[in-house]
Amino acid sequence: MSDQHDFDQLERRSFLKIAGFSFASVLASCSRAPVEKAIPLLNQPAEMPPGRALFYASTCAACEAGCGILIKNRDGRPIKLEGNPDHPISKGGLCAAGQASILGLYDSLRIKTPLIQGNKSTWETVDAEIISELRTIAARSGRVRFLTGTVTSPTLRATIDEFLSTFRDARRISYDPLSRSAILDAHLRTHGVRILPRFRFEMADTIVALDADFLGTWVSPVEHTVGYREGRRLKGQPARMSYHVQFEPRLSLTGANADRRFAVGPEALGLIAAHLAERIISRVHAQIEVPALASPPVPSGYLDRLADRLVQSPGRSLVISGSRDVKVQLLCNLINHLLGNYGKTVDIEQRSYQGEGNERDLSQLIEELRAGDVDALFVLGVNPVYDLAGIPEISSLISRIPLSVTFSNQQDETTELMKYTCPDHHPLESWGDSEAVEGVFSLSQPAIAPLGASRAAIESIAAWSGQAGNAYDLVRKHWHGKIFPRWKGGTSFDEFWDKTLHDGWVELPPSSPRPNPFNAKGVTWVTQVDGPPAGHFRLMPYAKVGMLDGSQANNPWLQELPDPITKVTWDNYACLSAKAGQDLGVTTGDVVRITVSESTASRSLELPAFIQPGQHDGVIAIALGYGRKTTARFAGIGPEWLEAGPSVNSDGLVGQNIWRLTSPLDALMDPNGRIVSIAATGKRRELACTQQHHRLITSSLVSGPVKPPGRQVELSVLNSGSIHEAGHAPAGDSHEDLWPEDHKFGPKRWAMVVDLNACTGCSSCVVACQIENNIPVVGRDEVRRQREMHWLRIDSYYSDDSTDPRPVFQPMMCQQCGHAPCETVCPVLATVHSADGLNQQVYNRCVGTRYCANNCPYKTRRFNWFDYPREDRLANMVLNPDVTVRTRGIMEKCSFCIQRIQEARIRAKSEGRELKDGAVMTACQQSCPASAIHFGDLNDPTSRVSRLVAEDPRRYRVLEELNTRPAVTYLARVRNGIEEGMAREEAGTNHG
Amino acid sequence: MHSQPLVLGHKSLGQVTEDICAPMNRRPGFLWWAAFLASLSLLMVGGAAVAYQLSTGIGTWGLNRTVGWAFDITNFVFWIGIGHAGTLISAILFLLRQRWRTSVNRAAEAMTLFAVMCAGIFPIIHMGRPWLAFWMFPYPNARGSLWINFRSPLVWDFFAISTYFTISLVFWYIGLIPDLATLRDRQRPGLKRKLFAFFSLGWDGSYRTWLHYETVYLLLAGLATPLVISVHTIVSWDFATSVIPGWHATIFPPYFVAGAIFSGMAMVLTLMIIARKTMHLEDYITPRHIDVMAKLLILTSGMVALAYLTELFTAFYSGNPYEQMAFVNRLAGPMAWAYWIMVSCNVFIPQLLWFRRVRACLPAVFAISILINVGMWFERFVIIVTSLHRDYLPSSWADYAPTLIEIATLAGSFGLFFTCYLLFCRIIPVVAIGEVKGVLRHGTDHGRPRTVEPEREKTGPPAREPAVVEV
Repeated sequence: MSDQHDFDQLERRSFLKIAGFSFASVLASCSRAPVEKAIPLLNQPAEMPPGRALFYASTCAACEAGCGILIKNRDGRPIKLEGNPDHPISKGGLCAAGQASILGLYDSLRIKTPLIQGNKSTWETVDAEIISELRTIAARSGRVRFLTGTVTSPTLRATIDEFLSTFRDARRISYDPLSRSAILDAHLRTHGVRILPRFRFEMADTIVALDADFLGTWVSPVEHTVGYREGRRLKGQPARMSYHVQFEPRLSLTGANADRRFAVGPEALGLIAAHLAERIISRVHAQIEVPALASPPVPSGYLDRLADRLVQSPGRSLVISGSRDVKVQLLCNLINHLLGNYGKTVDIEQRSYQGEGNERDLSQLIEELRAGDVDALFVLGVNPVYDLAGIPEISSLISRIPLSVTFSNQQDETTELMKYTCPDHHPLESWGDSEAVEGVFSLSQPAIAPLGASRAAIESIAAWSGQAGNAYDLVRKHWHGKIFPRWKGGTSFDEFWDKTLHDGWVELPPSSPRPNPFNAKGVTWVTQVDGPPAGHFRLMPYAKVGMLDGSQANNPWLQELPDPITKVTWDNYACLSAKAGQDLGVTTGDVVRITVSESTASRSLELPAFIQPGQHDGVIAIALGYGRKTTARFAGIGPEWLEAGPSVNSDGLVGQNIWRLTSPLDALMDPNGRIVSIAATGKRRELACTQQHHRLITSSLVSGPVKPPGRQVELSVLNSGSIHEAGHAPAGDSHEDLWPEDHKFGPKRWAMVVDLNACTGCSSCVVACQIENNIPVVGRDEVRRQREMHWLRIDSYYSDDSTDPRPVFQPMMCQQCGHAPCETVCPVLATVHSADGLNQQVYNRCVGTRYCANNCPYKTRRFNWFDYPREDRLANMVLNPDVTVRTRGIMEKCSFCIQRIQEARIRAKSEGRELKDGAVMTACQQSCPASAIHFGDLNDPTSRVSRLVAEDPRRYRVLEELNTRPAVTYLARVRNGIEEGMAREEAGTNHG
Repeated sequence: MHSQPLVLGHKSLGQVTEDICAPMNRRPGFLWWAAFLASLSLLMVGGAAVAYQLSTGIGTWGLNRTVGWAFDITNFVFWIGIGHAGTLISAILFLLRQRWRTSVNRAAEAMTLFAVMCAGIFPIIHMGRPWLAFWMFPYPNARGSLWINFRSPLVWDFFAISTYFTISLVFWYIGLIPDLATLRDRQRPGLKRKLFAFFSLGWDGSYRTWLHYETVYLLLAGLATPLVISVHTIVSWDFATSVIPGWHATIFPPYFVAGAIFSGMAMVLTLMIIARKTMHLEDYITPRHIDVMAKLLILTSGMVALAYLTELFTAFYSGNPYEQMAFVNRLAGPMAWAYWIMVSCNVFIPQLLWFRRVRACLPAVFAISILINVGMWFERFVIIVTSLHRDYLPSSWADYAPTLIEIATLAGSFGLFFTCYLLFCRIIPVVAIGEVKGVLRHGTDHGRPRTVEPEREKTGPPAREPAVVEV
């Protein structure tokens, strides 16, 4: 009104003034934005069409693995990360942590301005102060230390090096909380260079893993999963696939996938490797002297046969270890060398840069800090105060450094103590690059303008070395100078750059110096086992899928992601074997006190116990990454009501920091883990677990032949063709039906096939589904009440006893039944069948009787018990605009990503062509590193799913006997069994 | 037995009227006030709980992704079951000419109405979006003529219950008209009299009026009878038509009807004993009534026990592992305690009623009647919760524990029931005056001293005899 009034009274001159300014401002906004801030487009459209997603190739920065991603942008903002199918490392998959990392972009608690001692400042002030302090340090030859995690970015590495080169005594120290240091140290001794090889699982016929969770958390899980999947694909007639044996103290995701698994203590790994090496030496007649070895902790006959098998296929096996003990790694190197694996499955030419940390350097830094010798400390990408919490004085050591600078954009343990905080961009806002393995260079590009006044770390560092420039120029300059010369394509740099930017990556010939030939002299033998003293346990900190080292502990999606093995969310806990639990008198949920005794003092921690089948009796395994300061934000997450419980502990954080009992430096002294004592406290803390019962209790309670919903079959049974007699009736052979087909299907009939043999249980699909479909996070208390909202869950079933659990994972989502029990019972027709075979949920119509969920035999329906808070408006930017955010009181469930079907259909229609097989990819399918999920049209006899449903002997549908006619077909999991020469007769006789 | 009079104390017709109407003109006593205030408090607590649940969400209940129904539908089926005895007594026993029913039918019918009211609340508040409950109703609409799903048992339920409530209400009201006229005639002019006059629909007590009245009553009784069977049959279909082991059973309709009558009878007995004591109706609700009701409890308890055994046998004999699992879980799973409470209260304890001394002992019968209601509530809880919490895929098995809000809601439904019932006791004659007079035989042997004529008992009097209204 007032505006109108003003206009009414507008005089001619004022009008002209306003008009002039308006025109000028229009012109100003028309001017070309500086190129480094523009959003580069894949194929330059005339304008950005609203509603159409644009994809930008980039590199995932959630860990060091450097997977290729496509950033899905809608209306100018990134809403999802997907794997880049063309990327040579990840080949289209993306792990849970990588997918979830997009939420960090919209984190409203991210530090977005530079801070000086916690107070907001400006870049000019910060730069001026840091530069002047650096000058004085340089002037008196002070010590400058740059503490990083593994840096895979060549530009960042070069920038840091250049920065440090201006000081007399300056050094970069890197460490990885999830340490791979022992592998590098072992290669230094056997090959003369400190390198991490690249492991090629696709070329291995036999995989022997000594406590290496290579499918879950070790080095480069997506890359490994892709390769492992390739090796495990059933090939030939009779079918064959690679054989995988795992020796490990706790049941890891990788161990769950193994054909054969032994629970052994961490100290026994070396002896097993020694025995294996001894057997191989005798078989290949190598001239290596073997000391007398104590008897092996696993059946000797098994090791004999394993050695036979390894020797039979030289160069086609892989013996790896995740142990932090260099001796174990040395023995693995020896075995790989004897088997001729170097240069084949163990690639040291195209080596990996995914782990470069060195604990010796770190330990030296601590000594320098203790001596008060460090004048400047820069911290990038790590949180030393958290990781080194086992050194009680670490806070005081760090806070007394005269110049301390962090690049962290999180208010974490380290940031609090640092003088200057120079927040780095979120990787989606920034230019960057990565060389995860030798010669494979990936580019990162910004998909959105920075949301705050943060600054790329390379810009900050360059600014302090007097080379102010923006990240785009710095990356380009480095690429022009160092990387482009290796390009043999013969084009101009601009073309090279544009192509790389478009693809997201470029592969160049390896340039690193060749390592020395294998030197067997460096090998140290492990001849016996020192278990923990009676009544004590070895503490085994482990990385949990999704949570990893905890750098994304502030991510609610990852906190609520059930652990693939235990299915617990929102907490870490003390995993104990059933026997250990019995001895201690504790069961799952009982709080235990874990105490580390040292000469001077003892430190302890209280955590709820979790009884884990398949765990070694002498080990207590606790997940890393919990108890972080950044989890304080979850105090109020989830619906608030009368009986609601918090998601955090009494100390206001999620879980406990296990680094308080041990430290990354312990790898140098006691690589097998600290010795701890455990006592029951009498307290209880119910864990928020999404699956209560892993075992098929049905079969033990009643004698009926209950077919496990997640089926496994032995390879020999599969090859003999007798799979159906083994109780695995194939899908599709349904009986004569009493009722007429009551749905009329249109030209399409969507169906899904899930290959359980490919599925490793890595849970990346769960997060993909959550992001794609705007699924709310409900908090610990709601999960504890069994009200998690995930549309897609991964069921795990143990099909054997507690000493040798043979888990099988089964992704379970709405089965889109042809005869859906949910559809008949809904009183208001809120769930109906579509002509293309989808079981549709009509949110608007739902009144919330929950009858459909009760009547669903798969229990895949999820009810909105509350209006789940979506208060954070910045975090809401990540919501997928194609999917409705559901309100309170209605039912929801997997829709087969109907929005993606619709999008593909519309695109095909507007382009005037048929919808091709594979044109529609569901979110879970897209993210799956193992390509375990196939989606397509069942009416098209040539489609992938049609062929699998019609032909694969492993096919079955869950609860088919109910005649629900699910549209999801599963392919049974296959394990190598007796037939493969790996007899099981000695199983159970000796388990460490 | 039959030689005993149905009403004790050699009442004259005038005395009957006086006895039954007297409490309504007196100020309520201490017991009534105490009971009323307690019930009202419960109702308020329940009301607050429901208001909180409606404003916050179903999440305030202890339900989860696996157990989608628990207290809500348990309470619903429980209250519907309670309602059955009223219709049974007023309609079926009327058609079977069980004359002893006259003392209790009014109270039982009122109980039916209040129980169905309590029951009706739960399907509405159990919805995620109860403000859209009217979508269950097939009304013409502008949503592309979006209809309801006639295949859904919940829709059948909706119709069954609304029909049941309507018929019960009409039946109760028709039976009330002569008594309303009596009350009208006893009132001094004023608002109360006007109201009674309005609701008695100009009753004049003439022979013609009685004749029409009797015909309508008989017809309505005939109409209500199938409802006793149909309502709980349809309620049982909520479960029987599903695919969940423990629900999917053809025995459910007769099983549910028997259970409903069982629980309803127990509730009538509870209420009768209370009313007898608090309203001083010892002469009308006699030990004979109690005795007959107790025997009915033995019968229905046996039927329920048979159903329990049949279920177990079916599970065992079917060879269906899921079905077997469901019942092993009921008997020995984490919620076995609920099953054994059910069996104890519904099968074992009622066997005490075989003893005449127990049947004659009012406190014992009272205690047993309450225990049966506890047992019948648990029967529905067992069927609903223990079947749901562990069904096909072990990965989705879950536990269930109620929240305070749910417990308060259950308590509130009892509060509503008893508040209504106590108000009813104050406003409307608890015993059907007109009908009781019919069993006094004053109508046939007017003026003579009351004697019992055995031969008339054998042949049976006409179903209902016109009573003389005495002022």
